[in-house]
Amino acid sequence: MIPTIGHASILVGLALSAYAVVAHLLAARGGDPRIASSGRRAVIGSFVAAGIACAAMVLSLLSHDFSVVYVAENNATSTPPFISAISLWAALEGSILFWTLLATGWAGLVLHRYRDRHRALMPWVGATLAAINGFFFMVMTWPGNPFARTDPVAAEGLGPNALLQNHPFMALHPPLLYLGYTGLAVAFAFGIAALATRRLDEEWLRIVRRWTIIPWIFLTLGIVAGAWWSYEVLGWGGYWAWDPVENAALLPWLTATAFLHSIMVAERRGGLRIWTGAMVIATFVLTLVGTFLTRSGVVASVHSFTQSAIGPWFLAAIVVALAGSLTLLVWRLPELAGGGRPSGTVSRESAFLLNNVLFLGLTFAVLFGTLLPLIMLAVGGEQISVGAPWFDTVTVPIFIALLFLMGVGPALPWGTAGWTTLRQRFSLPLVVAAAVTAGATIAGLREIGPLGTLGLAVFVGSIMVDEVVRGARARARGRGEHPATATWRLTTRNRRRYGGYSVHVGVLVMAVGVAVSSGLATDRTVTIGPGETAGIGAYEITNDRLVVEPLAADPRVIETRAELTYAGPQAGTLATALRDYPNSPTAIATPAVRTSLGEDLYVTLLASDASSGVVTLHLFVNPLVVWIWIGGGIVGIGAGFAAWPERRTRPAVQPVPDSAPRPAAVETVEGA
Amino acid sequence: MSLRTLRWLLVPLLVVPITWLLLAGFGHDPRVVASPLIGRPAPAWETVTMAGEPIGSDDLAGRPYIVNFWASWCLPACVDEHPVLAAAHEAHGDRVTMVGILFDDTPHDARRFLDRYGDAGYPHLLDDRGAISIDFGVVGPPETFFVDADGIVRAKQTGPLEPQGMDEHLATILPRASR
Repeated sequence: MIPTIGHASILVGLALSAYAVVAHLLAARGGDPRIASSGRRAVIGSFVAAGIACAAMVLSLLSHDFSVVYVAENNATSTPPFISAISLWAALEGSILFWTLLATGWAGLVLHRYRDRHRALMPWVGATLAAINGFFFMVMTWPGNPFARTDPVAAEGLGPNALLQNHPFMALHPPLLYLGYTGLAVAFAFGIAALATRRLDEEWLRIVRRWTIIPWIFLTLGIVAGAWWSYEVLGWGGYWAWDPVENAALLPWLTATAFLHSIMVAERRGGLRIWTGAMVIATFVLTLVGTFLTRSGVVASVHSFTQSAIGPWFLAAIVVALAGSLTLLVWRLPELAGGGRPSGTVSRESAFLLNNVLFLGLTFAVLFGTLLPLIMLAVGGEQISVGAPWFDTVTVPIFIALLFLMGVGPALPWGTAGWTTLRQRFSLPLVVAAAVTAGATIAGLREIGPLGTLGLAVFVGSIMVDEVVRGARARARGRGEHPATATWRLTTRNRRRYGGYSVHVGVLVMAVGVAVSSGLATDRTVTIGPGETAGIGAYEITNDRLVVEPLAADPRVIETRAELTYAGPQAGTLATALRDYPNSPTAIATPAVRTSLGEDLYVTLLASDASSGVVTLHLFVNPLVVWIWIGGGIVGIGAGFAAWPERRTRPAVQPVPDSAPRPAAVETVEGA
Repeated sequence: MSLRTLRWLLVPLLVVPITWLLLAGFGHDPRVVASPLIGRPAPAWETVTMAGEPIGSDDLAGRPYIVNFWASWCLPACVDEHPVLAAAHEAHGDRVTMVGILFDDTPHDARRFLDRYGDAGYPHLLDDRGAISIDFGVVGPPETFFVDADGIVRAKQTGPLEPQGMDEHLATILPRASR
């Protein structure tokens, strides 16, 4: 009964989406305004339908209804309720269902929120979003039916993927990532609407900026949470492997980030409108390409989503989205060209331009590396794929250049920068960075990568601190405010700028974390008997005892656990285990991670001998890893701060081309 | 033609190659890689079995042998081909030596796999640091190499073996009289 309701809801969702496309297109052609609102209600109805289908799936999972193939393959009678519930997104069909829920949710939210505004744009936005939603309902109706039934019904299911049971982060990482992916469709829909109605104006820029930054926050947090999950669960001591699935999330992130920067030039100085439109399209198409690559089985990935019939459907969607949006863009090219005000070689515009070139370079590099197996196949050559070292070699120089630009760009004035300005802005930060780098060298840091990154990060960070301090001081003096009040008012009056700075600080923190943890990590494999001790770095690890027993939470899982004592900069006891799940012939490692602000002690159990109690351990000391997660959090907070609506305290001020960044300048007044 | 007309070329110029590229992926298993080893001498190696006994390629010389790279984590392919390997060992074990080599796996997991899915009795060897896998050019398990009595690689199976494929590959290394 419940699976039937779920399946019926999908059909209803498909019908409502199809209706919504037609209704919105009619409204766009100047039909009765009531038809637009009926289209809007149909989109909200499709969200409800997706919600019912998701609820039906969760109920089927919770009640272990093995007549549903998806449940039989991803659930067992002993699966705890929490794991059952999050199994909604543990495999292909369920994740598409969940994806549809989020996509229809965003669409409903946007159409509802702007129901009385942007009358010319909204019918096109509605039609585009409903078409995208319709595509997902189609996938679930034909090739990827999540409610496909099986007969005879098995008495027991296969159980969820053991890896997914092992860490609560699995409840967090996919929803964040999917919220990002699906949200980017909104920006794309506004792009299509603006091209269709010839309204790529300031109003459009403001809406699209907002609807890119919100999904961007989720995408960023989703990527960081995924890296963290990989670090805490997989037991290889790392967090990023340039796997196609990781790249698939990174690619739209790169173009969305490029867009968030180029749009500032478009808003302030005019121009770059073709480019900005192209970035919006590229970002959305890349979310589809990423899904296609990882879900269709055309590229080998450790995430190994099974080969499935949805590949051709996604390919068709990519072709339609790409061809349709490109045609629109090319059609409007003559109207979009030009319009920018001229600027000097050294200016904030040129910094933004360079920023976009670098981001696009990164996108191409990552795309090329990911697609290389397909490229070679297509030209009939040998099969080749590239691994992490290739990606590192190609991307690290670009990342470093971006770091540098991150500090220099925002400190440059719009228009043209003179020597005096440059000297004023950069001499103090340069001195501070040189001093810190020298200090770190004296303190014993000799590796060029971590040292250089640290110096660069300090340089960039002090440019920003310097600017905030000078701005706050000027405000405090001018208005007689307390320095803290002045700082708060300065930053909240210009959330975009200072939120952006905070994002940059988060990125700097992450960069130092990545450079130091990858450059200075140490690891070794040791085999020690009971009572014996092995050392790594400043730590001593003692093998206390080996325990083999069923897991309390799920007695079918046998845990082989090494209980250890560690002493050094951190001290205490830890347990690292291999868990034998009934549905996995491979034991799942549960690494023990002892985190401190300075370094992580990371221990995994590789092998053990139950009779003698001898254990083989992989020991890592990973410095500063925690700062990568902290940096990710700072990025999220900063972006949230920037996206927060500014108070409408004064009428919209026309952008004034100023010769220097005035800290208290009003850049925009949020209307979205 | 004017620039205004030429700009329309942008659409096919971008859409066609991208479609072609993505289309190329269909119908190919990304994990299948042809081996340059076929027709050449099999790499030499020395290692120990899971039981700890030393063994090397010299010990197998003079008889056809099969080298099966597998791992307990390779699901479901290694489970699928497991009975095929066992049956071949049962039927031809007197004429063909079979060895399994653990690909990036631990003896703990391998033992557990064999306990669960059956141990046909042929030896399974450790591959410390993946040296043997690298010499054979193994991309991912399961991969199986068929070596004749002269030590020449005659066939390679990428992915799980099925009974028919097993028979075809075996035919390339068995002496003619005994086929």
